[in-house]
Amino acid sequence: MTSPDSTLPASPLGPNAGRSTTHFFLSNEFGLILLIVIFAMIFGATAQGFLSKFNLFTLGRNSAVNIMIGLSMMTVIVTGGLNLAVGAMGVSVAMTCGWLIEGVGVPWPLAILGALAFGAALGWINGAMVVKTGLHSFIITLATMSIFFGAMIFLTRAESFRELPSAFSTFGRMKFGGYLSPLLLVTLVVALLLAWLYRRTLTGREMLAAGASPAAAELSGIRVDRIITLCHMLSGVLAGLAALMLVARNGAAIPSMAGQLGQDWLLPAFLGPVLGGTLLQGGKVSVLGTVLGAFLVTMLSSGLLMLQVGAFWVQTFLGLMLLVAVLLDKARRSYLARRNLA
Amino acid sequence: MTQISRLSRTDWFGPLLATIIAIVVIRAFSANFLSSFNIQILLLAIAVNALVAYSQMIIIAIGQMNLSVGAIGGLAAISFVGMIEVWGIPAPLAVILALAIGVGCGVINGVLIRITGISAFVITLATLSIFKGINLGITEAQPFYGVPDSVKAFGSALVFGPIPWLVVPTVLVAVGLWFMLSRMPVGRFILAVGSNEHAAGLSGISVGATVIIAHGISGLLAAIAGVLVVARLQIGQPSIGDDWLILSFAAPVIGGAILAGGHVSVSATFLGVVIVAIITQALVLFNIDPFLVQVVLGALILAAVGLNKLRARAPIGQGT
Repeated sequence: MTSPDSTLPASPLGPNAGRSTTHFFLSNEFGLILLIVIFAMIFGATAQGFLSKFNLFTLGRNSAVNIMIGLSMMTVIVTGGLNLAVGAMGVSVAMTCGWLIEGVGVPWPLAILGALAFGAALGWINGAMVVKTGLHSFIITLATMSIFFGAMIFLTRAESFRELPSAFSTFGRMKFGGYLSPLLLVTLVVALLLAWLYRRTLTGREMLAAGASPAAAELSGIRVDRIITLCHMLSGVLAGLAALMLVARNGAAIPSMAGQLGQDWLLPAFLGPVLGGTLLQGGKVSVLGTVLGAFLVTMLSSGLLMLQVGAFWVQTFLGLMLLVAVLLDKARRSYLARRNLA
Repeated sequence: MTQISRLSRTDWFGPLLATIIAIVVIRAFSANFLSSFNIQILLLAIAVNALVAYSQMIIIAIGQMNLSVGAIGGLAAISFVGMIEVWGIPAPLAVILALAIGVGCGVINGVLIRITGISAFVITLATLSIFKGINLGITEAQPFYGVPDSVKAFGSALVFGPIPWLVVPTVLVAVGLWFMLSRMPVGRFILAVGSNEHAAGLSGISVGATVIIAHGISGLLAAIAGVLVVARLQIGQPSIGDDWLILSFAAPVIGGAILAGGHVSVSATFLGVVIVAIITQALVLFNIDPFLVQVVLGALILAAVGLNKLRARAPIGQGT
C-alpha cells in the first residue's frame, strides 16, 4: 500500500518518519514490552500476592541473575558463536571466589575481582581455542564445559563454601524502597554499559562487524581473532557476575547451583537473547531485547509458580515459549520482508 | 607402506589403535581389567552408550545437532515403566509404545526444524526443555518402581560367558545402521543431505522427508537406550538421560564424524564409545577420582576434533 505522498519526491522525510514508527511497533522490543504488560496484568489479577512487595523483590532478584546469564551468552552470539560453558564457567568463578576468601584469606572485594579475572581467563581459553583451531565454538565449549565443571568438582570435592563474609548475604537481602533489589541495579548498569559498548565504541562495532562477516571484517583491517577472543572473555566475566549474584542470593558458593555441568543455565541463557531478537548467525544485537526477554521469562516462571501450575511443568512452558518466540519472530520477519520494511 | 597409509585414513583405524593400546596398557597395570566381571560391566556401559552415540550420530550425519537426545531417552524410559505400573500394560506392548513415543518426539523435532527453517540447535533446545518438563510433570521427580520381573531378568541375563543380553539390541542396531547408511537409498540420502543439502535437493532427494526420517531414527535410538537403562537399573528414574549430552557428541567425534555433516562411521563411533568406557573404567580401577571423568571426556573431545582437523589437512594419499 503506497500512500499518495510517497510519489512526491519533495517529501522524502514523510514516508521515512512513518516507517520508523511502524518499525518500532513491529519491533521485537515493543512486542516484548506488550507481552510483559499483558502478563503482568493477568498474573496481577489472578495470582494472589503477585504484585506484593516481597514478590516484586524476589522477581527483581531472580531476573537480575537471568538477565546477566542472557547477556553473557549474547556477547558470544554476537560473533555468530555459542558458549555452552556459561554455567560451568559461572560456577567455577563463584567457587574461585569462595576459595579465595575462605582458603586464601583474601578480603572479599579483592576476591571478587580475582574471581572475575579468572572468569575472563576461562573465556580466553575458549576464545583462543576457537580462533586457533578454527572449529565451531559449539564443540569447543561443549568440551570445555565438561572440563571446567569436572575440574571444579574435583578441586572442591563437591563441597560448598558457606563461611562467606556477611557482606554477600546482606547485599543479596538488601531492599531499596521495600522492593528493589540492588542486584537488579547491578545488572541494569552492566546492560547499559554493553549497550554503550555496541553503539558507541570502536571495539563494540568491531565485534558486530566480526560477527556479521568475518572475512569482510578481516579485510577492513579488524583483527577478528582478537575480537572473538575478547567476546569470549567478556562472556566469562558476565557469567562470573551472574554466579556471584547467585552467591549473594544464597549466601554460599554451591557447586551444584547451575545443575550438572552447568546445564541448567543453558535454557535461560538462550531464551533472553533469542526472544530479544539477537541473531544466532551473529552481527546483530539487541541489549534491550535481551533484558526484556530474560525479564519476561523470569516473570512467566514466577507467575506460573504462583498460579500453582505445578513446579514441574514450568520447564515445559519455558520450552514451549522459546518455540513460540522463534516462530513469532520468523513470522514477523517475513511480514517485514513482504512489506519491504526491514 | 601404501597399505598402512590407506589404513590410517580410514575412520576406524585410529580409534582401534587407541583402543588396543589402552587395553594393553591398562591390563599391564591391573590384572582385574580383563576379568570376566569387569568385561561384563564394560559391555553393559557400552551397550547403552553406543545407542546414545548413534542417536546423535545420525543427526550429525545430516549436518545438524540434537540436544534433546537425553530428554527423549528419559521420557521414553519413564513412560515405559509408567505405562506398566499405572495402566498395567504388558511389558512387550509397553516397549513398543515407549519406542513409538521416542520416534514421535524425534519426528516432532524434524518437522519443526523443516517447517520453520530455524536452526536445529534452537529447536532441540526448546524440545529438550519440553520433553524433560513433561517427564518431570508426570513423575514429579519421583522414580517408578514397578519394573516387571521379566524386564529385570532381561537386564541381568547373560547370553554366554560375560556377555549380557543387553548387548544384543545394540549390536542389531549397529548392524542395521551400518547397512542403512552404506547400502540403502535412505542412508545414502541422509549422507547426501548432510554433505550438501542444496545439491541433494537438486538431485531429486526429498530433503524434508530425509531430515524428518533422520530425526525419527534418532528419537527411536534414544528411546531404545532409555528402555535398556531401565532394564539395567531396574527402576524408572526421571533423571535418565540427564548426562547423555557430552557423551553423545564425544563418541561420534572420536570416531571421526564431521560436525558439518555428510561423514559418519558406525564402526568408528562404536570404537569411540569403547574408548570412553575403557577410560572411565580405568579411572575407577586405579582409584582415580570419578569427578575427573568429566575432565577426561572433555579433553578427549578436544583431542579428537584436533586430530580430525589434522587428518583432513594431510595430503590425500597416493594409494587410492
